[in-house]
Amino acid sequence: MIGILKSMATTMKHALDGETFTVEYPEDEPDVSPRFRGVHKFSQERCIWCRQCENVCPNDTIQIVTDDQRNGEQYNLHIGQCIYCRLCEEVCPVDAIVLTQNFEWTADTKDEFALDQEQLKNVPWYKDIDPLEAREPDRGSWVGEGEGEVDYQ
Amino acid sequence: MSAVAPVAAPLQSAPLPGTIAELLGLDPDAPAVLFVLAFLAAGAVISVLMGMTAVLGIWGKRKITAAFTDRIAVNRHGPYGLLIIPADAVRLLSKELIVPAQVDRPAWDLAPLVIASSALLGFAVIPMGNGVQIADPETGLAFVFATASIASLGLVMAGYASNNKFSFLGGLRAVAQNLAYEIPLVLTGASVVIFTGTLQMSGVVEAQQAALVSLGPVDIPSWFAFVNPFAFVLFMVANLAEVGRNPFDIPEAPTEIVAGYQTEYSSVYFVLIYLGEFIHIFLGGAIVATLFLGGPSGPVLPGIVWFFAKMIAVYLFTQWARSAVPRLRIDQLIQIGWKGMLVLSFANLVLTAVIVGVIQA
Amino acid sequence: MSLEEPEPDEGVIEAAEEVGVTTDGLDYDELAELVGDRLLDREEHVNAEGFVVRPDEVQDVLFDLRDEAGFDHLSCVTAQEYDDRYESIYHLKKYDDPTQELSVVVPSPTDDPRNESANPVYRTADWHEREAYDLVGIEYDDHPDLRRILLPETWQGHPLSQDFDGEEPQIVTLREHANPLQEDHRADDADTMFVNIGPHHPATHGVLHIETVLDGEQVADLEPDIGYLHRCEEQMCQQGTYRHQIMPYPDRWDYISAGILNEWAYARAAEDLADIEVPEYARVVRTMSAELCRIAAHMLAAGTFALDVIGDFTATFMYAVQQRERVQDILEDLTGQRLMFNYLRLGGVAWDVPEPREEFFEKTRDYLDDLPENVREFHNLLTSNEIMQLRTVDTGVLPPEEARSYGATGPVARGSGIDYDLRRDDPYGHYDQLDWDVVTEDGCDNYSRLLVRLREVEQSARIIEQCVDLLEDWPEEDRETQANVPRTLRPDPDTEVYRAVEAAKGELGIYIRSDGTDKPARFKIRSPCFSNLQTLPVMSEGEYIPDMIASLGSLDIVLGEVDR
Repeated sequence: MIGILKSMATTMKHALDGETFTVEYPEDEPDVSPRFRGVHKFSQERCIWCRQCENVCPNDTIQIVTDDQRNGEQYNLHIGQCIYCRLCEEVCPVDAIVLTQNFEWTADTKDEFALDQEQLKNVPWYKDIDPLEAREPDRGSWVGEGEGEVDYQ
Repeated sequence: MSAVAPVAAPLQSAPLPGTIAELLGLDPDAPAVLFVLAFLAAGAVISVLMGMTAVLGIWGKRKITAAFTDRIAVNRHGPYGLLIIPADAVRLLSKELIVPAQVDRPAWDLAPLVIASSALLGFAVIPMGNGVQIADPETGLAFVFATASIASLGLVMAGYASNNKFSFLGGLRAVAQNLAYEIPLVLTGASVVIFTGTLQMSGVVEAQQAALVSLGPVDIPSWFAFVNPFAFVLFMVANLAEVGRNPFDIPEAPTEIVAGYQTEYSSVYFVLIYLGEFIHIFLGGAIVATLFLGGPSGPVLPGIVWFFAKMIAVYLFTQWARSAVPRLRIDQLIQIGWKGMLVLSFANLVLTAVIVGVIQA
Repeated sequence: MSLEEPEPDEGVIEAAEEVGVTTDGLDYDELAELVGDRLLDREEHVNAEGFVVRPDEVQDVLFDLRDEAGFDHLSCVTAQEYDDRYESIYHLKKYDDPTQELSVVVPSPTDDPRNESANPVYRTADWHEREAYDLVGIEYDDHPDLRRILLPETWQGHPLSQDFDGEEPQIVTLREHANPLQEDHRADDADTMFVNIGPHHPATHGVLHIETVLDGEQVADLEPDIGYLHRCEEQMCQQGTYRHQIMPYPDRWDYISAGILNEWAYARAAEDLADIEVPEYARVVRTMSAELCRIAAHMLAAGTFALDVIGDFTATFMYAVQQRERVQDILEDLTGQRLMFNYLRLGGVAWDVPEPREEFFEKTRDYLDDLPENVREFHNLLTSNEIMQLRTVDTGVLPPEEARSYGATGPVARGSGIDYDLRRDDPYGHYDQLDWDVVTEDGCDNYSRLLVRLREVEQSARIIEQCVDLLEDWPEEDRETQANVPRTLRPDPDTEVYRAVEAAKGELGIYIRSDGTDKPARFKIRSPCFSNLQTLPVMSEGEYIPDMIASLGSLDIVLGEVDR
């Protein structure tokens, strides 16, 4: 009997302390860790079209189209198919593709999750966190560099 | 006594239909008038109960569960999320009523009605204070227990007619459970009758008005919960089993037999069963309040407020138990029922009889 | 290292009794003598020697190895097809010392792949051989019930055999399926009732289907039917490169926050295969993150078990989820994801702990400081509750002999008093340098398994605390998180390795055979849940339905890992 009363006391303590563990999303945004891996962002100014990301991707999420001179024409990424393993970012030699902390991404149809390079470029930074720097402090991505100013090619 | 006296007076007034008749200047003895007015009074009481179920069943239950589990729960629809009540009502009623092939009709259709209405029927004789009591027959207590147990019939009908193995198991469990716990429940109720000497509900309430002990200016009334706490605990436990709440929610047992007898019900029928369950809990609370907690008596506030407060307190207790007490296994439940509760309630009955006999001698 | 020293007396006696046991490891020559003429050949695997035996002498050899040489644990059965033959490998171990391993390799011809079943020797072979039959196509003589296990019964062909045509559509006409609406009264005169519990049932923790025969409320017969969540994980790993592409997938086997533990299983096998040395710093980080995962997994296990027994959406479950949530926050800071971590790399971990380091360590310490109080709360809610005890003590009993025979591992084995924990017995990572205990309970019932999990949480906290201390004082210049591993990894052809780690649910083993390319030729997962689930009939037959549900909850299976 004492055990049952102890159980009931425990739950009553939780009921009366008035604390809640859940938050009122979206007014109250949950903390997202700086290392969190969300939707990708791609810079075609940085990309050297080496296709390493396409090769390393475990489930063919990235599709790259180049012409016969190996100049990049298209960079497509189906974020509905992505497993957010971050291997593309890891192998990229010029940090042209990074995973932002952006975790809110909705669409009406599956097709809208297939992003082309323009859409990937326009994915917003999340709270101006530099994702790459958060993960590997000796690297930094192009947060704050502006749009299209840097050309590494 | 002084605090209780002004409230106690309306408790003993005539049943509600007669009072209304007098107020309207109609002849309270004409059967036709009484019939119509009784109908109206019953309608009013049922509406109040439905409203209570809507608030406590749809909104209150979520809030209470959320409090126990450190969550927030409904807060988007209107103030404190209260508009979830109409929203949910529309949602539930607009769902498709799925009738599985080969259910045993009309038993399958009647079961939800039986479950919901049997619980409502019991409220006919409950004195709720301020003269709100539809009827006050001399056999009031027996009537309440009798109607409440009709629900078991509904459960069996639902379980058997659904043509579903989980429903079937749930129906069988419901019968086994109700048989095992109805008897201790009635016996413990009978121990109260030994005190009061009457089955009439108003008489039961009246018998609890005297002061038991006086602690300075505060009188402890002779509620039977204070006079005989042992019987009170027994009755609370048996009541939990009777209304099928944790740790005795065995006929439903969602993790074992899906949803028991209600597995196959959807839409309106589901609402009726849900309603029936809640009103059954409230009826349990009303019986506890009337038999053990002095019915509508209490200081300062009007009797009807006290009555509902006590009834809701019993409901809150069931929710508290739900948060923390594990479910028993069916054989353990039966064992506790027949070997524990029954023996204890007989002991309680004999003990009460002896004590009352000694006092009267 | 554990405080529990091996008891010297027992060790000496066993060494004298068991063939092939010497003070410095196994003497394979002596074992070969035991097998005698039945031995065709000896192979060299990375983890152990492989004894090649004739397909019609499997039972004989296995009986001898079990009874004379003490190999009481059939960890895994791997089946595969070569160009010229089929092969079944029985990975044998000992519960007393899992470092003593032996593989029994059974070749069988391509045109008629069949060999004797190991079922009479080890009960666990039942499902393992069914899986081998299902996916690879080897027939096992004497097997009591050789049916498909993961794929539907109407499936054509065996997907991991070489002549399987993956393009061929698997169309089965309706006529070949059993009509679900058909009246079905088996054995009209019997007084039992057949019930399908699952695949859609509130308590099966996923898509598990249990074919149950009830006698009243009691379970007369029961058979788990699995495969609803089969996602070809082995085949996917066979199509990924060692270096990068396999690592994201282990997270998805046991997806209940045990990701890093699973990743470690792959990492350990592949690192042994390619001979990669992991820097010590990375080993400590691995140990810490893996134990964080274990806490999260055990918390959820306790919570869902409570849900099964208590019923309804109750408080205990939510409190458990809160605890898990806090661990996940820490893991998110460390790895960047809450469930699918992809944090380990061959030769180390992806990153060091996040900057500022002090903040991370403080957050972890805060959690660990609160943990004893929170665990006490669970004891108040669960273990000390009389009704809970009434429900769980002496129900779902799994005797230790049965547990061994069925290859049960992890908290299920330890709840049956089997003192078996790979972290201590087959040390890897940094476990052997730390001070912690292996938790065992002798009750063999649902209560013991719950208690083991709750107590293991405390031990994991001890491990994490020591790891945090170590990491905090680690000199900055020595913080090497990854060994230098070539970008493309091509292990030597025909190297075979079987390695296991102690995952949240038990022994998670990986068998890899390389063929000289950068992808494995055969990748086999030994899932602890798969073996543990086999014990359900032992625990539940004759018990009531609620106890069967509780036993299932106490096994803590994850269907993603059972079906793979």
